[in-house]
Amino acid sequence: MRRIALAAAVALIAASGNALAEGEDEGPFSEGSQAKNWNLLGQEKARFEAKVVDVFCEVAGDCPENCGDGCRQLGLLRSSDGVLVLANKNVQPAFTGANLDLLPYCNQEVEVDGLLVGLPEYTPAKMYQVQLIRRKGEAEWSKTNRWTKEWAEANPEAAKAKGPWFRKDPRINALIERDGYLGLGLEKDEAFKKYLFEE
Amino acid sequence: MRALITGLMLAVLALPAGALAATQGERVKIKGEIIDTWCYFSGVMGGPDSVVGSAHHTCALWCAAGGIPVGVLAEDGTVYMVLKYEGDDHVTGGDTILEVQSDLISADGLLYQRDGINYLVVEKVTANDGLVNLSHEDYDVIPPFAIPKPKQ
Repeated sequence: MRRIALAAAVALIAASGNALAEGEDEGPFSEGSQAKNWNLLGQEKARFEAKVVDVFCEVAGDCPENCGDGCRQLGLLRSSDGVLVLANKNVQPAFTGANLDLLPYCNQEVEVDGLLVGLPEYTPAKMYQVQLIRRKGEAEWSKTNRWTKEWAEANPEAAKAKGPWFRKDPRINALIERDGYLGLGLEKDEAFKKYLFEE
Repeated sequence: MRALITGLMLAVLALPAGALAATQGERVKIKGEIIDTWCYFSGVMGGPDSVVGSAHHTCALWCAAGGIPVGVLAEDGTVYMVLKYEGDDHVTGGDTILEVQSDLISADGLLYQRDGINYLVVEKVTANDGLVNLSHEDYDVIPPFAIPKPKQ
């Protein structure tokens, strides 16, 4: 059963990758977009002007200084229609969100380029992957790749080791050491690893 | 009187934009699994059922620590984006939100709906059943490299 399910999951990834023909990821905000294709579900290229906002502030009126200083999720209040777009991801293929890349633009008008993502079966509103950002009127785009640099500055000892940040992060490693990779305890983890690597 | 009205207008203009657009939250009781919303909605790792629970627990830790929005996936399939968790608004990789990844929780909270997205302030977790979705039994681990191969 698990092999069938796994194959189905892999097939879905492959299908989503093959599904996007030229122009198939165009949407109402795609004009002029340079966004890179990530072969994601419901993907649409989207370039638009917006104001960077603290989502909690925007929906609930709880508004600390500087959009929460990186602790809060940030969004993009789209200029053309006033829609609050949740910025879910930055451009790095490294399990990293968009908040640290948007924070320098807190409450500023910007232009962003990226991908709107998600299928209506699962979400009435698409999430946004911000790939490029610039202040309104600026010529140069910036890639949204700050997250790993900030992590390395905050974790200088861990950053010295080889490998990606998520293999070296002290907090993640402490939780895995305590609960295992499956989160079910070390005993179940060991049994599963035997199945995975030895059987 | 004119000075008072002018003063009020200036006070309103001085408010953050969010304070003007904000709404009252709706009191709700939610039961659901804490999930990584990027993998769930984007399909980057596979179908939604494969990117929840034990199969995806390590990746959920990575994504939560990486600041990707954390959600609560309710039994009816609705996803609620968490904006605050039991008084802690550090939801972009904070210790509290990292600790509860993949757990099944019941919570009292405030719901805010905006432009098709459900935003949730988790006020009080009334029960935490831990990790009960044994998705690794069907999917092994997603992504497959989540558990590093032991060195020979």
